[in-house]
Amino acid sequence: MIAVENVRKTFRSGSHDVEALRGLSCKIDRGRLAFIVGPSGSGKSTLLYLLGALDLPSSGSILVDGHDLTKLSETDTNTYRRDHVGFIFQSFNLIGNLTCVENVLIPFLPRGVTAAQKARAVELLTDVGLKHRLDHRPRQLSGGEQQRVAIARALVKDPKLLLADEPTGELDSKTGDEIYKILRHLQAQRQTTLVIVTHDRRFITSNDQVIEIQDGQLVGEDLYQTRADLR
Amino acid sequence: MPNVRVWFLDLATLGIRSPAGLSPYSDTGSMWKFAWRNLLTRPLRTALALIGLSIPILGVIGLFSLSEAMRNLIGTTLSRVQGVVVLREGAFSPVFSDLTSDLLEKIAAVPGVRAVTPEIWKIAPSVEGRSAAGNIVRNVLTRDPKAPSKQLQNMLDQPIIVGQDPTRRAQIKSEVFPKALLKGEAGGRYLEPSDVGSNHVVISTKIARDNPMPDGQPRKVGDFIDIGGKPFEIIGLYETGSMFLDVVVIMPIDTARKLLNVSPDTVSSFYVEGDNPALNEELTARIEQALDGVDGRSPNEFASNFGSLMSQLDLFLLATVSLALLVGVVGIINTMLMSTTERFAEFGVLRTNGWSRRHVLTLVTAESAYLGLLAGVVGFVLALVFTLVANQFLTSTGLSLTITPRNALLGILLSLVMGMLGGFYPAWKASRMVPMAAIRLGAS
Repeated sequence: MIAVENVRKTFRSGSHDVEALRGLSCKIDRGRLAFIVGPSGSGKSTLLYLLGALDLPSSGSILVDGHDLTKLSETDTNTYRRDHVGFIFQSFNLIGNLTCVENVLIPFLPRGVTAAQKARAVELLTDVGLKHRLDHRPRQLSGGEQQRVAIARALVKDPKLLLADEPTGELDSKTGDEIYKILRHLQAQRQTTLVIVTHDRRFITSNDQVIEIQDGQLVGEDLYQTRADLR
Repeated sequence: MPNVRVWFLDLATLGIRSPAGLSPYSDTGSMWKFAWRNLLTRPLRTALALIGLSIPILGVIGLFSLSEAMRNLIGTTLSRVQGVVVLREGAFSPVFSDLTSDLLEKIAAVPGVRAVTPEIWKIAPSVEGRSAAGNIVRNVLTRDPKAPSKQLQNMLDQPIIVGQDPTRRAQIKSEVFPKALLKGEAGGRYLEPSDVGSNHVVISTKIARDNPMPDGQPRKVGDFIDIGGKPFEIIGLYETGSMFLDVVVIMPIDTARKLLNVSPDTVSSFYVEGDNPALNEELTARIEQALDGVDGRSPNEFASNFGSLMSQLDLFLLATVSLALLVGVVGIINTMLMSTTERFAEFGVLRTNGWSRRHVLTLVTAESAYLGLLAGVVGFVLALVFTLVANQFLTSTGLSLTITPRNALLGILLSLVMGMLGGFYPAWKASRMVPMAAIRLGAS
């Protein structure tokens, strides 16, 4: 379970501070698919990055399965990122010098890649329909294919938490649909907690949790209330 | 698993593991490949940085090579001298020394001295109408692109007059020049007591070649050569193969005095042979103790003095090359900074996937180490080409540039260290970025 408690995040922008999150609290159940929605600049991505321990909140706490991310040591933070969280970005963020398989294996490169890990990477790429693209470089792939590589990379460590920041933001609607299909399928299959930041509410179903943010504050956490707002 | 860690680097990141860590990993070289590919992504930038560092490395290796060649040549030259040279205290060489002639008897009286002969050493006033100063000016003004070796050679070949006492010289057993006479008639003979007062000279084959007859042929025994406006008959031709010795014109000491306006009371130095050449150090000490204002120099002492001079020269040249190295390192810093700035998002992604700061630091440092290593190898190859070309021009000087494995290794290691130093700041900067900021900066 994820518990975000009174989290504030302030950035320095030029000569003034910008408050991205203003005392936000929310909970996400384990194995759930949750959407974070809200207008641009509302703090959605900031919240997602904090859940991935890619930065620290200015105040407040973020508990993942009882562990407070704000209190982890540098080493534990690295371990958390490496072993427990998978991240999918809007702009794919694949590394151009590496092949698809190598991109998927990025978490393991520093410590050396085992044969089992490599086999797992190939299996995941096969699962997302890229068996024929294993040794291709990102520039040789379409946007949809690149995002599928990114999904395989996020899953290769069997994370308990999968975070996706506008995963279809740079894709056409048809490819976006495919990506959501894949994400839903994998989430259901693995019972991974999946948190997606999106503008596109058409992918939200009645079983999903929705966290709506505006100006850095939670404006709705209840699924039905949010869906009613949508209607 | 225990990892090998050196300073800030995590060598396990690069696939280098301690013996205890043998190894469940199937592909521990992935990081090397990754670092290498990152370099190749921008080949032009990499090549420019590489050139910037490899040229100073060429300078370093070339400098070591030249320095070592000079030391070898001096060692070879001095190994032929078995006596002791007595000259004015503090004088760098006999050319810059003057002593009174009456010291001869005092030196001869020093215990252990077997033979002593006075000598006059001076730069030749002119040879075939060309003076030393004139030669230097001519070298600067008249550059012949077809014969660059001639230019360099002339700079090194200012003839020196050595006046010797043919009578006393007969007692000397270890002189270099008589032993270096060409074999047969072509070599002629050395100075003899009958040459006293004559305009007879013994010259090197190099001087004979450098001052040819009107038909272009080198001068030979029996020909005349103009020195200081006077004709001198060549009675002997020698060849030592050393650029330091093959510039000497030997003539009777009284003739040299007249030619060079040196008073009969003055000599440049004395050449002294002891009873036992192995005890030359002790002999010089006794001479210096017995006589005020003189230095006795054994070949070892000359070598040592020259070694000190060369060391100072090395330091000066190293300081100069260091500036070039500094520029090379700045080039590496610039290249790596540009590279890391362009790759903020990449570092953010790596950190997102559990890479520690140390891993990122190691990756970027590995890239700059590659750059340094490559620059070292390129600098070494350039230095090899340089020595091959330079040796073509230096054949007549006796200098032979060679790159020893030690110097090659030193040059390459220096380049590697410079590369790593140059990459350290960009690597540190990349490793310190907060992943979220890195990704956002990279995306913007």
